[in-house]
Amino acid sequence: MDRALRSRLERRFGDCLLAPVAQRHDQTEIRVSAGDATDTIRALHDEPDLHFTLLADLAGVDTGTHMQVVYHLWAETSTDWLRVVVDGLDREAPRCPSVTFLWKGAEWMEREAYDMFGIVFEGNRDVRRIYLPAAYTSFPLRKDFHLPDDASRSPGRGVRPMEESLPPRDATSATNLRRAQAG
Amino acid sequence: MTERAHRPHPSLDDPSIAIEDVLRESIVDAVPVARTEREAEFYTLGDGEMLLNMGPQHPSTHGVLRVVLKLDGERVVDIDPVLGYLHRGVEKLCENADWHQAICYTDPLEYVASLFCEWAPVMAFEKLADVEVPRRAEYIRVLTGELNRIASHALFMGWFALDLGGLTPILWSFIERDEMMDMLAAVTGQKLLFNYFRIGGVNGDINHEFMSRLGDWMSRAGAQIEANQGLLNENEILVRRARGMGVLDGETAMRMAVTGPNIRASGVPFDIRRAHPYSVYPELEFDIPTRQEGDSLARYLLRADEVKQSLRIIDQCLHQMPDGPVMASVPRLIRPRPGRAWAAVEGPRGMYGTYAISDGTDQPFRMRIHDPSFVHLQLVSLLTPGNLIADTMAIMASLDPVMGGVDK
Repeated sequence: MDRALRSRLERRFGDCLLAPVAQRHDQTEIRVSAGDATDTIRALHDEPDLHFTLLADLAGVDTGTHMQVVYHLWAETSTDWLRVVVDGLDREAPRCPSVTFLWKGAEWMEREAYDMFGIVFEGNRDVRRIYLPAAYTSFPLRKDFHLPDDASRSPGRGVRPMEESLPPRDATSATNLRRAQAG
Repeated sequence: MTERAHRPHPSLDDPSIAIEDVLRESIVDAVPVARTEREAEFYTLGDGEMLLNMGPQHPSTHGVLRVVLKLDGERVVDIDPVLGYLHRGVEKLCENADWHQAICYTDPLEYVASLFCEWAPVMAFEKLADVEVPRRAEYIRVLTGELNRIASHALFMGWFALDLGGLTPILWSFIERDEMMDMLAAVTGQKLLFNYFRIGGVNGDINHEFMSRLGDWMSRAGAQIEANQGLLNENEILVRRARGMGVLDGETAMRMAVTGPNIRASGVPFDIRRAHPYSVYPELEFDIPTRQEGDSLARYLLRADEVKQSLRIIDQCLHQMPDGPVMASVPRLIRPRPGRAWAAVEGPRGMYGTYAISDGTDQPFRMRIHDPSFVHLQLVSLLTPGNLIADTMAIMASLDPVMGGVDK
């Protein structure tokens, strides 16, 4: 744990942090709102006593009540990984500023977060699906997207008609179609 | 690309449409309705430009990757990779498995060096559950990991030569790699997807068969690798087609979030084993080779340098490895207290990372997998414009992406 980094962060970003700086193992975590995200990350990248130049990862998270975008940054100035959590995005229409102006390489990671969670990144010039086909309509990593897998303890188990076995006499395409629509 | 592409062509219904019109129209028809700024830019054709689809089953796309090329004659103007042909939804599957089961889902992500894909989630879960790993287990992880790194780099060299049109090196690479895979199979029981690392240690101690094979191989590995590289390093065709191609400078590499050998070939000495040490790497002596040129040849030669460092690490592991247990006592069912953890390891392609969130149950609440191949594939559209189609593939091969990791 890098105590010095903690006090630097508290001093610099004290008023826009949503929660106290959290530290555990080799990670330091700060939480900001979407409105403060651009300024915070730009300061983390540019200011010489912080200088977090390497974007290690960008991930979307669905907590069930709201969305988050989580950045992991690395700097020579600290022995810790820095985690920036952009918290409290609206779950119905999540929007977050893009960091492609600092790291162009974040473009595809943001596309992935859009593909999986529907988070729209303002400023990214290429927010479209990356893995799933363009005509796909759901966002599979959201918590309300259930896997129809009986082996898991997912709330979605057994609710999809395709997971039920059909006796041969019912296995006509018309029956399947009705069942699929009913499900 | 869009729904339009899946509908039957209108000429099927209307026999009065002439075939010339159909051909003229089909080029325009391949251009989807642009949804983003970048897509509008890509699918707007200038004078004399055409679109060409390559893949997904093209031999030099390293798996199932489709790329749309915008061409001016034989020159590539722009390139748009289309992903998703191998997408399995691993992150979702992991959320529906328990903590131990999730590890085996991450294995096939990087089927060329799968120990590293296990290593990152295992480290993240250990941080969440506050598990202390026995030192012998850490040494075994480093030892097998470095062996896997050499195996991966050996295959890269063959692939790279194959994409430049030489068939022999890949056959040699597989001979080389097979020996290492046999060694790892002796200790893990699997030859491709090892599933060897566990939360709190490794699945089993190294055995006599592994040690005898390794000792035998180590005694001739250095000379054998030199001999194999003699086939390539001074090959004029390889050198002339790789030197000065796809030049990436250090500043751009940082902005593109590049890691691993690709950033070190651009002169940035970033290696997580030194930049953010984990496991027992602080106790081992090795150098971080870098090169300044940033071209395809530098990326190739850098991997050759790394193999020598990995041999050094293996040698030290064998001498320093302590006795003791290889597993901490971890229950079959774990419920880490609620929290978040990030772990990253330096793999043969770059940084593998895992961000795991626990909500106190026996399943991960969220598990994010960061794969370097995914990030590096973005570089293709940055490095290739202006080159010939054949060189596009050579540049892509020098970045060494593995589609299993790109598509997750």
